[in-house]
Amino acid sequence: MKVEQLTLEKKYHDAVEHWRRHYLKDYDLLLENWDKYFPKDEPFCLCAKMECGTPDTVAVGEHAGEKKRLTPDQLTEDEAKHLLAIIRAQASTEFGSIQQHAGTLARAQDDEDRFWVLRVMAEELRHGYQMFHLLLSQDWSKAAGGVKGEEMVEEILSMQTGSHVLDAFNLEYDSFVDNVCFAALVDRVGKYQLTMQKVCAFRPMADSMPPMLREEAFHLAAGVIPLRRWAKRAAQGDVFISMRAIQKSIHKWYPRALEMFGDERGGDSNLRMGFKDMKNREAQDLYIEEVTRMVRDINARFLRARFPDYTIDKVERVLDELERGRGRHQGVEYDDLLRVPDRRFFRRKGEPAWTMIGADGEPFADVDAYVRYLATQLPEAYLASRDMKTYAETVRQVAAGTLPVAEAVRRMPRLKRVGGNCPCSRSVRWVVEDPAPTNGH
Amino acid sequence: MTQVESPSRVRPLDELDIGSIVKIDERITGIYRPEVWEERAGYYLRRDPDASQVVEIGGKVVGFMLGDIRIGEFGLEEPSGWIERFGIDPDFRGRDLGKRMFEAMSAHFRAQGVTTLRTLVDRQDAGVAGFLGALGFESSRLQALEMRLPTATS
Ligand SMILES: CC(C)(COP(=O)(O)OP(=O)(O)OC[C@H]1O[C@@H](n2cnc3c(N)ncnc32)[C@H](O)[C@@H]1OP(=O)(O)O)[C@@H](O)C(=O)NCCC(=O)NCCS
Ligand SMILES: [Fe+2]
Ligand SMILES: [Fe+2]
Repeated sequence: MKVEQLTLEKKYHDAVEHWRRHYLKDYDLLLENWDKYFPKDEPFCLCAKMECGTPDTVAVGEHAGEKKRLTPDQLTEDEAKHLLAIIRAQASTEFGSIQQHAGTLARAQDDEDRFWVLRVMAEELRHGYQMFHLLLSQDWSKAAGGVKGEEMVEEILSMQTGSHVLDAFNLEYDSFVDNVCFAALVDRVGKYQLTMQKVCAFRPMADSMPPMLREEAFHLAAGVIPLRRWAKRAAQGDVFISMRAIQKSIHKWYPRALEMFGDERGGDSNLRMGFKDMKNREAQDLYIEEVTRMVRDINARFLRARFPDYTIDKVERVLDELERGRGRHQGVEYDDLLRVPDRRFFRRKGEPAWTMIGADGEPFADVDAYVRYLATQLPEAYLASRDMKTYAETVRQVAAGTLPVAEAVRRMPRLKRVGGNCPCSRSVRWVVEDPAPTNGH
Repeated sequence: MTQVESPSRVRPLDELDIGSIVKIDERITGIYRPEVWEERAGYYLRRDPDASQVVEIGGKVVGFMLGDIRIGEFGLEEPSGWIERFGIDPDFRGRDLGKRMFEAMSAHFRAQGVTTLRTLVDRQDAGVAGFLGALGFESSRLQALEMRLPTATS
């Protein structure tokens, strides 16, 4: 497996470098400490990486068996538009997550955790760079309605937490718990998207996936390994980290992560056009199953640390018992463990959008009771956010029947930059905009 | 094997396999050491997540084989594929599972331009030595040397 490394034209490369001086301030610190935390690993390279030797025929959809497309003009206009939206959304997520991580990075208790996240951020920068390569090495102007690659790049670099394409990238982190839960939950959706896009009928996109996926494997580790270590510390009575704090962060991110798959009822066009090999619900189901395994693994780590004399088989039996009976075992309550929220919990897009369902699947009839309940389930700092305020207003209107669900789905407000496009200009305001796309589908 | 077997699957290691590796290691050695495997899994996943393999039977991980490519180690300039840690749950041995993980790993190494595989073995461990011998490993011109240092007194 060979990889070709490419650099953007200087002015674009410089634009990305400029951007990272704003949002990835510890970049140089990371490079200086690379050998300390990642000895003998390949040095970081801000470049696009294209996998060589990938299949050159379309694997799925109505063009299956045909030669993969190499340029946008080999796609139909509809296909090109669709793919462009995917690339733009993907680029937005890469830059968006760096901005989110940056907010609470310095609060990590352990330097190793911090440097792992820093590496994740640098690799997200590379992923964004990769998407820019796709936008800039080709002429998309027909699909973009005349908008030039240059303008698309400028637009993406001007986005910030609040103006990104997908909701998951418009929430600030409240603590370092969010850095880690985000990596474990949201990067995991990234893994699914990249894996599905390995088949992409547009070859440069398909060739971009394997190198990104290899990096994504570490991003997931940078979420799950600290979570495992925290579970152990929580079990041993460390008062600075609790399973409840982790659970609240899961409640914050998991619904947004599920929505990144797009509406549960959709995904057909991706399949038909040969851009992905799974429909939205199919991929989401697999994701849920994987998160369930992750949570079980962390719970087992917790219980074993609490009861060091237990064998792993006994730990698993106790875990089964607690999950089934929701009771307690030797001072450990079911509530002390992590659990995967119901897929309909706290949703604002997709099939269960704006329904009032609790984390355990319990329905709420009264909107005030639901909002009060949410306040007990989400990180405290997040409750005071703009996002929660808008959510509560909207869910109240939906419940009162004054706002149709379909409209509510499109209504979440976004931050809009009113000054110039450089991140130096920080003058922004909240606006309710035209319909926001899901993840480009 | 006469009984009906659940299908087995060899696939690259991922971060959710740590718990299973800890469990298999504990079954083999009797030692519970999650910290060691968290550190090791982090290491292999960031260096080359496609190299290390696990094997599942009926969706349950029953074996693992970890390793990576290194260049310049001990002056060995050619890229070497190192097979470092492996283990098969004692209930699932003798079914070629170890061998199949090895084949997946060596195919990956070969695709990366590796021409030599390397590993170290305790000669007194007949099981591991026998397994490696059956895979085709032979004694090397390079010899592992070691030396005990007197414990510091002060
Ligand atoms: C060594 C080990 C990996 C073998 O796994 P396995 O799945 O049972 O092996 P396979 O069925 O794939 O066998 C492959 C080959 O190795 C041979 N082999 C396996 N175990 C052997 C043994 N104990 N002695 C001699 N040869 C052996 C098999 O006969 C087979 O040879 P063949 O291809 O010529 O028929 C497993 O026994 C184990 O996990 N042992 C403990 C490992 C350990 O201590 N790990 C910690 C260090 S990191
Ligand atoms: Fe990424
Ligand atoms: Fe990522």
